[in-house]
Amino acid sequence: MSRKMHVITLIIAGLKNRPGRNLATIFCFAFIAANIFSAQYFMAGAAGNAEKGISRMGADSIVVPAQYEVFIKGNQMGPATANGIIRVEPSNFRVSNDIMDKIRKVPGISDMSPQLFVVTQAIPELSLSPVNIYGIDPETDFTIRPWLHRPLEKTLGPNEVIVGSDIAGEPSSQISVSCQLYTIAGKLDPTQSPVDHSIFLRMDDAYALAAAEASLSPSFSPIGKGVVSAVLVKAGPEADPDMISARIQQPFPSSYIRVIGRNFALEPVSQEVSGLPNLLNMISGVVVLASLPLIALIAAMVAHERQREIGLLRAMGAKRKTIFSLVMAESLVLAAIGGIAGIGACLFTFSLLNTQALLNGALQITFVTPQLARISQMASLALLVVIAIGSISSLWPAYQSSRMSPYDAIRSDR
Amino acid sequence: MITVNGVTKIFGAGTSEVRAVDNVDLEVQPGEFIIILGRSGSGKSTLLGMLAGLIRPTDGIIRIKGLDINTLNDNQIAELRSQEIGFVFQFSGLIPTVTSLENVLIPTLFCPNGPGNRETALGLLKQVGVADRADAYPGTLSSGEMKRVAIARALINKPSILIADEPTGDLDIATESEIMALFRQLNSEGITIIMVTHNPDLIPCATRTYRMTQGRMAREPDSPLCQTLPGTRKEHKDQT
Repeated sequence: MSRKMHVITLIIAGLKNRPGRNLATIFCFAFIAANIFSAQYFMAGAAGNAEKGISRMGADSIVVPAQYEVFIKGNQMGPATANGIIRVEPSNFRVSNDIMDKIRKVPGISDMSPQLFVVTQAIPELSLSPVNIYGIDPETDFTIRPWLHRPLEKTLGPNEVIVGSDIAGEPSSQISVSCQLYTIAGKLDPTQSPVDHSIFLRMDDAYALAAAEASLSPSFSPIGKGVVSAVLVKAGPEADPDMISARIQQPFPSSYIRVIGRNFALEPVSQEVSGLPNLLNMISGVVVLASLPLIALIAAMVAHERQREIGLLRAMGAKRKTIFSLVMAESLVLAAIGGIAGIGACLFTFSLLNTQALLNGALQITFVTPQLARISQMASLALLVVIAIGSISSLWPAYQSSRMSPYDAIRSDR
Repeated sequence: MITVNGVTKIFGAGTSEVRAVDNVDLEVQPGEFIIILGRSGSGKSTLLGMLAGLIRPTDGIIRIKGLDINTLNDNQIAELRSQEIGFVFQFSGLIPTVTSLENVLIPTLFCPNGPGNRETALGLLKQVGVADRADAYPGTLSSGEMKRVAIARALINKPSILIADEPTGDLDIATESEIMALFRQLNSEGITIIMVTHNPDLIPCATRTYRMTQGRMAREPDSPLCQTLPGTRKEHKDQT
């Protein structure tokens, strides 16, 4: 102990004075912090999903055989049509990959990647749902890769596959499809789409699998080498996607291919994803606004109950600013303790629950666990907000306490 | 040391006006032990509050060590209180969540350049006879022990004036005697004491006694016992 008393001793003494009331205040702060932190946490997770979603759906244009658009529109109308395309609804319509040479020449395109739907198979040992098998070009793919739970250590090799989240098996394990053995190179995060029960393999493996399938099943329509089901195109940062779509369509007859623009494909989903953060932000805002008068009321009650103590301190020589600082400091300590407790409780709860599965199921979004640095940022933000609330709500009680007549305060409850 | 000229304190206004202190004059020399007697509501506590700078008088002048406290702002009065005035209340006024020693040290927070420190606090607790309760919390102390700790707290910054508002009001006779003996001892060490009480039995402790009635203050005749009690200072009686 120092030769003189430290002011922190007096602050702690003040906090210990009314343990019940202080615990209630701490609980309030903890609730606010937990609310802000969890909202931020969910938003970050949803944003992670949105980022992945936009990357996944990041094709500004999707070039499909003309029959494919008719097929989709014929089966699903309205927004579901868009989802059908985004979700890579399997179809047996294909087009020669020669179209890619012409598409590549359109100025303003930054990425272009083909996809080939091979077959849908019932493979109970891999998934309860029918398994869709696609061929992708690992070198140019920009739609599947962002969904990977962990990035691939190297480019997808021969006889290696990327599997959806519902497919049984972990990376490095082997699976059998149409009597062919494949090694799982990577697994995707849940997408709440048919992608979850899909398998992606290299184009050459896809053609080989199609040939094997054709030999096994007479009803299977053969797939010749050099055909694709769709070509996904991404515009460069300066380019106008609508203009590019028009330019891609230009050299081809509309009866041969159709170019489906980004707006048509993405809007329904991006709106769905962006709505959640807004809702969470609104809930946080309401909690913060509602908490201010509540905390202010508690602070005023505490200050009122401590009139005599404050009068005593004034009688001992405490200046007004000292009393003001003491009341503020106590409130800030309560806010900090509450904030840390609330954030800690959230983290503990999140660690116990399978947040991803819970949110995927309840909110129908794909949740991506934020990284540690992001979590630290969110915790700091929540802590700062509750400390700000503690400060603002204690300003008036602290000011009133400091202006109190010491003589009246001492005699207040005699 | 303390000069009070025509001090009046009025609470309220109009029909609810209360003249708590009415045109009081008082001159206190260094080392005196002044007792102010009076019934409840006579204005004696209000007068003490004004002497300690806790209440601003409605009219009149109060000088402490030559400083007119009416001319000082709140911070300057607080500084004066922390350096020159120790206050003992009828209730102990100890903070229940810190130890006796920490309670004694609280005023040092408001007088950082003052002489009070841990060693001084322990010395004061020893002086008032509760050194063995330094680490005890107020809830575990008897009324007398709490009062002693409160007195030690009032003395931590080595004030020249000790103001006591009915410091023995809620104590039994034996403890009251111990506290008064302590006050006499402090007075004999040179501390000026102004004490308010409603107990006329304490008059012998004082160098001068006043009685307040309805806000007005009048000198009481000196007690012959004053000169015989240890710690009372006959020389001040002679001065007045």
